[in-house]
Amino acid sequence: MSILDYKDGSVNLLMGNEAIARGAVEAGVRVAAGYPGTPSSEIIENLAAVAGKAGLYVEWSVNEKVSLEVAAAGSFAGLRSMCVMKQNGVNVASDFLLHLGLSGTRAGMVLVPCDDPGAISSVNEGESRHFARLLELPLIEPGNFQEAIDMIKWAFELSEKIRNVVVVRSVTRLSHASGNVKVGTLPKNNDTPVFKYDGNLLDALNGPVITAPVPFKHRQQQEKLKAVAEIFETSEFNTYTGPENPELLIITSSACSLYSLEAVNVLELDKRVGVLKLGTTYPLPEKLVKKHVASAKKILFVEEVQPFLEDLTKIAAAAWEDVGVKKYHGKYDASIPTVNELNPDIVIAALTKILGIDYRPVPEDYEKKGTILSFTGAPNREVTFCPGCPHRASFWSIHNVLTLQGKGGFVCGDIGCYTIGILGAGFNTLKTTHSMGSGLGIASGFGKLRGLGMKQDAVAVCGDSTFFHSIIPALVNAVHVKSDMMLIVFDNKGTAMTGFQPHPGTETDAMGAKVNALNIESICRAIGADVHVSDPFDITGTQDKLFDLIENGKGPRVLIMQQSCALSPEKKGKNKYVMNVDESLCRGENCGCDRFCTKIFRCPGLVWNRDKSVSMIDSVICTGCGVCKNICPAGAIKSEEVKAC
Amino acid sequence: MTFGPKELQADVQQKNMCIGCGACVSICPYFKTYKGKTAAMFQCSRESGRCYAYCPKTGVNLDRISEKLYNKKYSSDALGNLKAIYTSEKSDKASKGNFQNGGTVSALMEFALKNKTIDSAILTKRNGAVSIPEIVTDHEKVHAYASSKYGLSPVVSKFNEGAESGYKKIGVVGTPCSIIAMANIRSNPTDIPDFVDKSGIVIGLFCTWALDTSKFEDALKDKIDLTLLQKVDIPPPPADVMTFTTSHNEITLPLSEMRKGIPLGCTYCHDMTGEFADISVGALELKGEKNKNIIIVRTERGEQLVNDAVKSGYIKTAPLPAEALSGLSTASMNKKKRAFTRLVDEKMINNLTERPMIVVDDQSLKNIMNEKGGM
Repeated sequence: MSILDYKDGSVNLLMGNEAIARGAVEAGVRVAAGYPGTPSSEIIENLAAVAGKAGLYVEWSVNEKVSLEVAAAGSFAGLRSMCVMKQNGVNVASDFLLHLGLSGTRAGMVLVPCDDPGAISSVNEGESRHFARLLELPLIEPGNFQEAIDMIKWAFELSEKIRNVVVVRSVTRLSHASGNVKVGTLPKNNDTPVFKYDGNLLDALNGPVITAPVPFKHRQQQEKLKAVAEIFETSEFNTYTGPENPELLIITSSACSLYSLEAVNVLELDKRVGVLKLGTTYPLPEKLVKKHVASAKKILFVEEVQPFLEDLTKIAAAAWEDVGVKKYHGKYDASIPTVNELNPDIVIAALTKILGIDYRPVPEDYEKKGTILSFTGAPNREVTFCPGCPHRASFWSIHNVLTLQGKGGFVCGDIGCYTIGILGAGFNTLKTTHSMGSGLGIASGFGKLRGLGMKQDAVAVCGDSTFFHSIIPALVNAVHVKSDMMLIVFDNKGTAMTGFQPHPGTETDAMGAKVNALNIESICRAIGADVHVSDPFDITGTQDKLFDLIENGKGPRVLIMQQSCALSPEKKGKNKYVMNVDESLCRGENCGCDRFCTKIFRCPGLVWNRDKSVSMIDSVICTGCGVCKNICPAGAIKSEEVKAC
Repeated sequence: MTFGPKELQADVQQKNMCIGCGACVSICPYFKTYKGKTAAMFQCSRESGRCYAYCPKTGVNLDRISEKLYNKKYSSDALGNLKAIYTSEKSDKASKGNFQNGGTVSALMEFALKNKTIDSAILTKRNGAVSIPEIVTDHEKVHAYASSKYGLSPVVSKFNEGAESGYKKIGVVGTPCSIIAMANIRSNPTDIPDFVDKSGIVIGLFCTWALDTSKFEDALKDKIDLTLLQKVDIPPPPADVMTFTTSHNEITLPLSEMRKGIPLGCTYCHDMTGEFADISVGALELKGEKNKNIIIVRTERGEQLVNDAVKSGYIKTAPLPAEALSGLSTASMNKKKRAFTRLVDEKMINNLTERPMIVVDDQSLKNIMNEKGGM
């Protein structure tokens, strides 16, 4: 079922990201672009699935900055456009966003960043809210699923009113949870895109789209923002629940508004506590906030990670001479933590502390027992690679080669499934992890430290999608400065971690059309690196190449390890081998093995048979990659080639 | 008290005592050897293991291995337990080769393989500065492994590999550290119930020290084409140099410079002549004598091989001049005294520590430390 299939006016169970996508189509979006990243990816996927039918152009761009530029082109040409990314994508796009805010847009343009407080699927807790303030753009935040669809539609209108980008921020708990949504009607929209540029330099709709003259444009942008603030004062997306004069006022937004309402409900404080849920968070609707602040004695800000509403309110409150003295609670008095995502329990804890309520959801000894049992009773479920994951084989070889060489060589990585190379699953091989592509930039730097006496070998790893996203400039840099290091590209043929979205190396685009697949090997060669290719499942061949490249290579070297992701559609149900363990050969716990395959190699497809004290293959999850055959010191793991029918 | 991989790493790898003999390698997947260095690939959780028991730098009980090999306590004599000592050199029947001195070792191994005293031989070849032990089964190929390498060779790892893959009478040629590891293995320290000694003959090479492979490489890589290296030698005093001969040229480096590449573990070694071998062989350093060896016969099977090799025309022996014997004894005793004194000073021997490097009878220890050298 696609997002076009819901009947006008019907109520449906939609995932937050589906609601956002449906809202965009209802608003008549024609261009959508993004870069995959949890929790945002389903928005573009849902739009791509209906692109042909709904007359859209949908693109997975090479990175977030380019996706924002692609979307901007739609707006400049008179089509409503949307750009989608996860929180740290905004950092990547922010340079263009700074300039776009200044130049302004034409047809409605909406930026949807999906933040991930608690870094459930991230390696950072970055926040897009602060970009809205920094870059002077309107920010709105849906607090539930219905708002997700309704606010997207409103955002396009708002954008056209002020001719600028509107930021609609989602979070994991909104994007990835599902709720009831009443859908609206689908428009007929087949405007032909035209880019007008003949008008005056200052003509926002017909002239060139530029940021100069900067003071003039900047003032214009700020005037627009003031107009937005006025609109926000009366927005229906700002709601208040509670008594007229509450003892304590919660000011909150987004998913936190649900936690707040639940906490008030659990503590039965609906007569004492009011909840002001802001849907429009930047610029702050100051008059509305002031009215509610004036009505309460104590104010509690419930928001995730850094103070945003709290800061905006306190700055505004400095001029509110007539509201009297208020006691503010939030980040600064540690009522609400500044890291990790929130939940109703955290809000309950803050409320009980501030209001002096004795609340214990479960008896103390029960809670204590539960805590102990959760540590001692639950089996240890470590983060690991899937059975048959090429990354495990790749890290196995890299780890073994660097360890054998014994020169303290190390690996710099970035964001991808392979980030868990830091952990036991990747034999603790990764030693640095930052933003996309940064492993190579860092390795390029390390490679130059040889001139200052550094002896260790620096190796960078990246995925194929990351290669296009942000490795190329770092490789250009490394080649240019002749940095002594090596890049290993884990080419698993797709943006695997986020769900096999296409990237510039794949032959089809987001909408399924044939496109030009760029060849990583040729690009690296053209840049001037010494390029080699190997199959990580060929353990011996790969290790020989690694030994040679690390030891004898000079300058920037690239090894492309090609093997499709174990979950890739092309591999599904097509096991190359049937694996089994010869129990008479397995050394198990005896000296000389110490359960090497299940303790060290740890593919989930290998399990320990407690009864027989031998290893065995879990044939249900084994993907038949055959790699474990190479690691068994007793040759007990056997493989039998699956004959093609 | 038995120990395992944790203690091995703590006492040997982490303290830089490893001399890369490979005793802990090829018996499990946790220890591997590469370019003369042994690496712990992963953390093994066993509390005791053959790795610790076989290592020549952990808990070597000299009396225990002597009892097992010679049925007597450790000899505190300069040259250890011996049956006979001669000068020797290869004879007509043995193949020609790039011999360090007299070609005795190559001739003996060639003969042992040919007459099936052994079914395989662990011999070390050279690849630049890297010493690479191999399992050799063809007697005609033995001569290609001739000449001293000076770089650490993981000989024992290949013995372990050979034993694992089914060879039953393995000939081993190694420096004294490897020979001590072999003695550990042969004495079955972990009490394996159906233990079988898979060694056929063990030949020890006289050694004062060896070179760390990477330091060896670093010292030479800019000076010669290491891939063409054919011979490494230390001419007798007072030359005080080390010579490196390639197919193109020969260079000489001061011994003091090369000594910087001696692994720390070598400086704690008491054994110059491979005391736990069946046969020990080294250079005869005597004025006017070139290209000859000294051979020490220590066991019955060693004696048998030497006698048969002489009879079959592979080697020839002659009485060792007293001057050479006294020179060798003095040098050997000095090495023992240096090592044991150091071990005592640093509390690394007997009950001076929980996990001593060496265990030996107190009387023997006293004898050696008070000895002035000589037989």
